[in-house]
Amino acid sequence: VHEVSIMESLHEQLTSLARANGATRVRRVAVEIGELSNVVPEMLHQAFLAFREVEPLLAEADLEIRSLPVRVRCHSCKQESDAEGFRIRCRLCGGTEVEVIQGEELLLRDVELEVDSEGGEP
Amino acid sequence: MIIIKRVMESLLRSNDETARILHHEWNESGTLAVNLIGSTGAGKTTLLEATLPKLRDNARILVIEGDIETDHDAARIEALGIDAVQITTGGACHLEAHLVEKAWRSMEARGPYDLVFIENVGNLVCPASYYLGEHLRVVLLSVPEGDDKPAKYPKAFRTSSAFVITKIDLQQHFDFDRTRARNYALDLQPALLTFEVSARTGEGIDGWVRFLKERAAAHMPIPA
Repeated sequence: VHEVSIMESLHEQLTSLARANGATRVRRVAVEIGELSNVVPEMLHQAFLAFREVEPLLAEADLEIRSLPVRVRCHSCKQESDAEGFRIRCRLCGGTEVEVIQGEELLLRDVELEVDSEGGEP
Repeated sequence: MIIIKRVMESLLRSNDETARILHHEWNESGTLAVNLIGSTGAGKTTLLEATLPKLRDNARILVIEGDIETDHDAARIEALGIDAVQITTGGACHLEAHLVEKAWRSMEARGPYDLVFIENVGNLVCPASYYLGEHLRVVLLSVPEGDDKPAKYPKAFRTSSAFVITKIDLQQHFDFDRTRARNYALDLQPALLTFEVSARTGEGIDGWVRFLKERAAAHMPIPA
C-alpha cells in the first residue's frame, strides 16, 4: 500500500505548481493511472481525501482519476490491441514481441488553479 | 480567476529524478546496481549469503539493506566481511530513491564498488513502483509462496529483468509448478531470465552467479 507515498509526492508537486503560478487554491487535479502501474485508484482517492482535510490548498479540490487499460502494439502484425488481463501479448496474432503503448502511466495530467486576478508570476 | 495548467509529469517525479542521478553516477564509476524484490521470507538475504562469497574475489561489493525495523540483515552481510549499510524505513513498505541515495552517500567513500546490491523491503507490491537507479531488477519467489504469484503481483515481474525461484529444495513438499510460475511471469515480461536455486543445497547458484559476473563485466565505467 504505497498510495499514501504517492499522494505525498503529488502534494509536493501541487504545492510547487501553486507557488509557481501564484495560486491560492487547487480546484481540480487530473491524473492518469495505467492498469500496470500498481496503484489502486480507490486507495489513491482515499489518500487524497485524507490530505484534503488537513491541507487548505486542497480544501476545495477534486481528484479526477482516469484509469487506462493495457494496450500493446505488435511487432509482427503491426496492429494495436487491448491486452487480455495482464498477458502482455498481441490479442490478434498472439505475438509476444510487443510494445506496451498504454497501461503503465502514473501521470499528473493537468490541474485547475485558482489565482488572484492579478495573476501569478509570468 | 481559474487557470488550467497542463502538467504531464510522473507522480513519482522526485523519486525518479534522484534515481536517475544515482544511475548516472553508477554508470560513470562502472558500478552495477541490482535491486532485489521479493516477499518477506522469500529468501533475499539468504540468496545474498550464498551468492556474495562466490563474487567477492572478483568484485568489490556493497549491500544496502532495506527493512522496516532492525539491522539484522546488514549484520548478516557484515558477518561475511562484506560492506553493508542498513536502511530502516520506520514503517514504509518499500525503499525510495532518496533513502538509497542517503545510504550510498554514507558508504561511497569506502569504495569504489563494482557491485551494489539493494535488498528491498520484503513486499512484492510497492517496491515495484519505485525505480532506485538500478541496472538490474531481480524478483524472487520462493516455492512455499505458490506458483501463481506472478499473475497476482504483475508489476514486480513486469519490470524485472531476472526472476529467481528460491528454495527449490522444498519442491517435494509443495504443489509448485515451476513451468507454470515461469509462464505466468513470461506473459508479463517475455524478456525475463529465470533462475531456479536453492541457497541451502547450492543447486542453481553457479548459474545465477555466472549471470551476475557477466553483467558486472559488461558494465564497464563510461570513459569521461
